[in-house]
Amino acid sequence: MKKFMGFILWVLVTLILIVPVSAQASDQVGTDLVYRLKWKFNTSVAGDIYADSNGYFKQKGLKVEVKAGGVGINAIRELELGRAQFGVASADQVIQALEKGADIIVIAQLFQANPLQWIYRSDQPRIKTLQDLKGKRIGVTFGGNDDAIMKTILAKGQLTKTDVKIISVQGNALPFFKKDADLWPVYRNSQGVSYQDKLAREGEGVRFFNPQDFGVSFVANSVITTGKLYKKQPGLVNSFLSALLRAWEDAMTPEHENAVLNAVKQLDGGINDDIRKKQLAATKTLIKPDPDIKIGQIDMGGWEMTESILIKEGLIKKPVKIADRLIQIK
Amino acid sequence: MHLECSQLSFTYPGSDNAVIENLSFSMEKPGFKALFGPSGVGKTSLAKMIASMVPVNDGQILCQGIETVLYSYNLERLPGWSSCGNHLDKVTPEGKEMLQEQLVDIFELNEVTGSRFSQLSMGQQNRANLIRYLLQDFDLLILDESLANVDEKLREKIILSIKEIFPDKMFLYISHNLMEVSKFCSQILVFGKPGGQKQNFLIHGQDYTQGYELDKESLDHCMLEIMNAF
Amino acid sequence: MLFRRIYQFMIVYVIGVIFLWMIKLSLGLSDYVIPGISLLKDTAEEFGTGYFMDVVNTLSVTVLGQFLSIIMAFTVGIAGRKSSWIGSFIKVTAYNIQAYPIVALAPIIFILLGDGFLSRLLIASMICYFPLLLSVLGIMATPVTDIEHFYIVTGRMRWQLEVKIRAFENLSKLTTVIAGSATLAMAGTIVGEFISANAGIGYSIRIALYQSDMAKILIALFMIGIIISIYQGILESMGEHIKHRWSIVNKGDEL
Repeated sequence: MKKFMGFILWVLVTLILIVPVSAQASDQVGTDLVYRLKWKFNTSVAGDIYADSNGYFKQKGLKVEVKAGGVGINAIRELELGRAQFGVASADQVIQALEKGADIIVIAQLFQANPLQWIYRSDQPRIKTLQDLKGKRIGVTFGGNDDAIMKTILAKGQLTKTDVKIISVQGNALPFFKKDADLWPVYRNSQGVSYQDKLAREGEGVRFFNPQDFGVSFVANSVITTGKLYKKQPGLVNSFLSALLRAWEDAMTPEHENAVLNAVKQLDGGINDDIRKKQLAATKTLIKPDPDIKIGQIDMGGWEMTESILIKEGLIKKPVKIADRLIQIK
Repeated sequence: MHLECSQLSFTYPGSDNAVIENLSFSMEKPGFKALFGPSGVGKTSLAKMIASMVPVNDGQILCQGIETVLYSYNLERLPGWSSCGNHLDKVTPEGKEMLQEQLVDIFELNEVTGSRFSQLSMGQQNRANLIRYLLQDFDLLILDESLANVDEKLREKIILSIKEIFPDKMFLYISHNLMEVSKFCSQILVFGKPGGQKQNFLIHGQDYTQGYELDKESLDHCMLEIMNAF
Repeated sequence: MLFRRIYQFMIVYVIGVIFLWMIKLSLGLSDYVIPGISLLKDTAEEFGTGYFMDVVNTLSVTVLGQFLSIIMAFTVGIAGRKSSWIGSFIKVTAYNIQAYPIVALAPIIFILLGDGFLSRLLIASMICYFPLLLSVLGIMATPVTDIEHFYIVTGRMRWQLEVKIRAFENLSKLTTVIAGSATLAMAGTIVGEFISANAGIGYSIRIALYQSDMAKILIALFMIGIIISIYQGILESMGEHIKHRWSIVNKGDEL
């Protein structure tokens, strides 16, 4: 027993020695800034890539490293651990983190329309009302955003689980291609374009079911930073954001299109140029659906609806007063 | 019955030194024959060549009246999942049940047939193993130290009994016991020392059978002859 | 042995959680990054039972998957034990299939078997069977000359007898490998559930990951740890029992 207690003591002492070292390491915020994206480099983050490749940050005197995201990478965690100063997170991530006491603020909303939509074949009747979903076989990622959105849609259309058939999404769209599913969740500007292209080659047309068209707004990717950084160095946050949004504004104009496509190709060469071009066009409609809308504009109503959806679906237990954490920097 | 080797050579793959070089000898008639010599001179290699377990590099082995050659050795084991008696029953050809009983009796294994192989002493293990071979069909049975760890008295009894029960079979007995090979074998192939001038001699032994009378002088002479052949 | 396994796991788990809490405290992290005591307690109360049942569900597939992988390993091991063309072909095929990452093979498995129970089972067995296969191949391809010689020279050797001899001579090694492969079978089942299923703890972990819910993940890890400790403890006890019977045989008491 003595030996055993000795072992436990030894482990704890080792841990106590390790923790301050790791804490120190992660507290170090140098002059370099890290901007952590939500997903891998692709056309969806064209503006972010362009900001880096075309020196928008440099012009503002900032040294920013843009890092790709991916499975298991979470910008909010990176911010808290001091490994990044800015990041991209979806609204549900932000709201869930706020509920758990994370000190983060939203400084810009990149997507005005959520790219998460459902693709369906155009030989099927167009979905004009939510009642048209009746009897459809719908793909949903259980526990994912699309799950919460679809539940809200069904509730809004006064449909129950028995009115539709939910099919679990398992990382690939085989059920949709095999026609075992009628509607399949896709990111409109990436998978949406590829699937549309693939089916077009087989002579099939597609349509997209966009929840926003039916009054369900669920905010997608936004730019975040910590409340602490904004309080301490508002100038730095302003400079970063203005450089980033400037890059996005430019990236969405026809004059910069070739340069943007080239910059994206450097980091994501896995698809052909034609698809990439179509993806960029689709991204434009989500980032700047209207020429009057300024990129980065925060849709307060959308955020509040997102919060209420999360409460209703039991994904958060209490309201987080989201409006207080949305800082629209002019 | 005739076993003849002419100009036989054997080298292990990858080795430069021949274990057996230009070996020629001839053994006739059934009975006990011996391969005698120090370790490493090629007794086992020769035995395995005769049993066709290793290919003959050079030379010839001629067998007349010998169709089935079996090779047994002293490290063999019986499977452990059932008793020795069961295993013996399983490998006894039909019609040889009486012979099995007789051999178990002579080999003094009656009390241990219900035991597993691993429970036997080393001498018992070797005896149980040898019985299996004696129950098979063969013309020539090679006993490569197959009676190791068996006490001298019992060994003598076993050898004499085998000679009596199998008068028309040939046995090639590999042993390091000078007295034993001299007493019970009719022909003894003596291997020279390894690495030295490799000469082999075929010496006639006393070839005693059941109820023999010891002729001390002839035996001493035979043993001396073998010793001189080294 | 069972009890010891459980409390050893508890110690490791508690040390791990304390380590995380120390990081949380020293860096002032929110519950989103590392859940605190009260959140962990609330999550355990809310999801603990459900996760326990999920792990039991996963375990049922694990047990079946392990059984299947033992059969697969023995089939391939026995078929591939010869140094013949067919033997080496089977060995190369078995090695190649294992070399492919399971996530790359998963789509093919889904096409053939759908995304339900069978896919989970197959993926679990595939992850578990390779270490088993290596042991079985090693054992089955190594002759036990001292026993086999007699049967070969007397023309009595059949493949069943050869397998029996080699398996029996390596019984102790085989039972250890089988007990050890339980962890792999569990990991395999969880991976299978993570990428393909709609039930089991792997599926629940996937949902928790979507929601970035560390508290749920910690509770899931706890449940997995407890159940796998129990399962492995049982397997080890069974292995000991078999070895004990074998040693009785060796000592010659009975049987």
